[in-house]
Amino acid sequence: MSIAFSVENLYFKYPTSKTDIIKGISFDVQEGEIFGLLGPSGAGKSTTQKILIKLLEDYSGSIKYFGKDLKAIDKSFYEEIGVGFEMPVHFSKMTALENMKFFAGFYKNTANIQELMERVGLWEFKDVKVGEYSKGMKVRLNFVRAILNQPRVLFIDEVTNGLDPKNARTIKDMIAEYRANGGTVFLTTHLMNDVEQLCDRVAFCVNGNLQEISTPRDLKLKYGKREVKIEYRENGVTNNALFPLEKIGSNNDFQNIIKNKEIETIHSGETSLEDIFIIVTGVDIK
Amino acid sequence: MNYLLKLTSGEINRLIKYKILPVSLITSFLWIIIFLFISKEDARNIAPLLIFIDVSMMSILLIGATLHLEKQEGTIKSMMVLPLSVGQILVAKAFASILLGIESVIVTSLALYLIHGITFNYLLLLLFVFIAGGAHVAIGFFLALSSKDFSSMLGLLMAYMFPFAIPTILFTFGVIEKKYEWFIMISPSHSASNLITSVVINEYDWTKIIASNIYLLILASLLFVFTVYPKFKDNAIRG
Ligand SMILES: Nc1ncnc2c1ncn2[C@@H]1O[C@H](COP(=O)(O)OP(=O)(O)O)[C@@H](O)[C@H]1O
Ligand SMILES: [Mg+2]
Repeated sequence: MSIAFSVENLYFKYPTSKTDIIKGISFDVQEGEIFGLLGPSGAGKSTTQKILIKLLEDYSGSIKYFGKDLKAIDKSFYEEIGVGFEMPVHFSKMTALENMKFFAGFYKNTANIQELMERVGLWEFKDVKVGEYSKGMKVRLNFVRAILNQPRVLFIDEVTNGLDPKNARTIKDMIAEYRANGGTVFLTTHLMNDVEQLCDRVAFCVNGNLQEISTPRDLKLKYGKREVKIEYRENGVTNNALFPLEKIGSNNDFQNIIKNKEIETIHSGETSLEDIFIIVTGVDIK
Repeated sequence: MNYLLKLTSGEINRLIKYKILPVSLITSFLWIIIFLFISKEDARNIAPLLIFIDVSMMSILLIGATLHLEKQEGTIKSMMVLPLSVGQILVAKAFASILLGIESVIVTSLALYLIHGITFNYLLLLLFVFIAGGAHVAIGFFLALSSKDFSSMLGLLMAYMFPFAIPTILFTFGVIEKKYEWFIMISPSHSASNLITSVVINEYDWTKIIASNIYLLILASLLFVFTVYPKFKDNAIRG
């Protein structure tokens, strides 16, 4: 596996901002993984993404794209990456299909537009002007726009924001399939669900800094409560008992319950990503 | 080159879809109605002013309108992640806008010929319209990139017109005397007007014509290289 993006010590400030917006972050995006940047609004996620897609150039630090310095790569870069923006990016007085055909016309490789639009449920509205689309429809069209060129690396900013659960599911399935076919994904979100359902690895982003770059599973192992909760029935009532995982095999009380009582449920202590985010960053993402 | 063609035809397509081309055609037809009711001599005198307005003020307005609209719709951002250079995007916009000017020149010239039998050197007019249009497209970009939305852009255009376009109108109607023309040619818009007027009334003062051409070409290049090109990308991404 090669490294799609290797970011080291990245700093950035907008011309109008007083202090750094991105404060020295480092991370790698492996080829073939879904890498998520999770954090509250204003943390600098979209800014980081705009830097990686070469829209913001006055950064300091080093960014390598498949080993090459990002600053030295020419516009053929855009043949290889697909970008899903947070806000709608279409000509409102043109139909959805006209929009897709216009953008597709500039790529060497293009996906099958009809297939993609059918998949997200927009093909029957292909001749409707985008200005008449609902917010959710625009978001779905944004996603089609992002994968028009069958990109090698896909960037998506708050992909499910504004989608109902069913359409969010469709888009997530498509992202997962894209990855299964060898694609690499960099996504930013403030939604735990996106991360739990999609990301191979996640970085917590707060206030221009990254904390805890890890897999969701490792995070849960590291920060989840290491304990077992048992519900058992005794004399017609349900009782609870809590045991530390540490040396549980030789815990007599635990053994006793397991051997002699009527067990109803056993759970290992699960801490939600949401709680872990608060534990790690001290910030409540909601 | 292929991409440039696609971009330009996309721009023109949008001029139609966003009803800008139809509106421009309607104003050209308004000019025709004016020609119907005035004498041949008056028509020859007023035609350069009408062409000048289409080529200069309308170019500025058009660039401002499309740029602010596209920023609002987010489409510029989407264009910036296509395998295109900023230069190609700018040139396509400039072409489309100049073509719109040429469209109105064609309608006006045709009307002058059909109604009054007036002819002039069309090729030279085309060349001058290209140069004058290009300079005003650059000015349009400059004003659009210096304003945060379309209404503040309109404010800037008004501020531009007072010192730079009104003298030309006064000059056309003889309020400003001919001997002061060199002075008002400091305004790029008057240099443009001078070029157009020379062809339409068939009186060539070559010193002024050459000076106007050089001035407009240099101004357009400076604006593009030092302000429009470097500012465009930053501006497109914001918001
Ligand atoms: N164009 C800009 N100019 C100045 N400041 C900006 C600009 N865009 C974003 N910011 C600021 O940068 C910070 C990070 O923004 P952003 O990257 O959009 O955060 P996120 O995507 O995590 O919500 C915010 O404080 C925001 O106000
Ligand atoms: Mg964001």
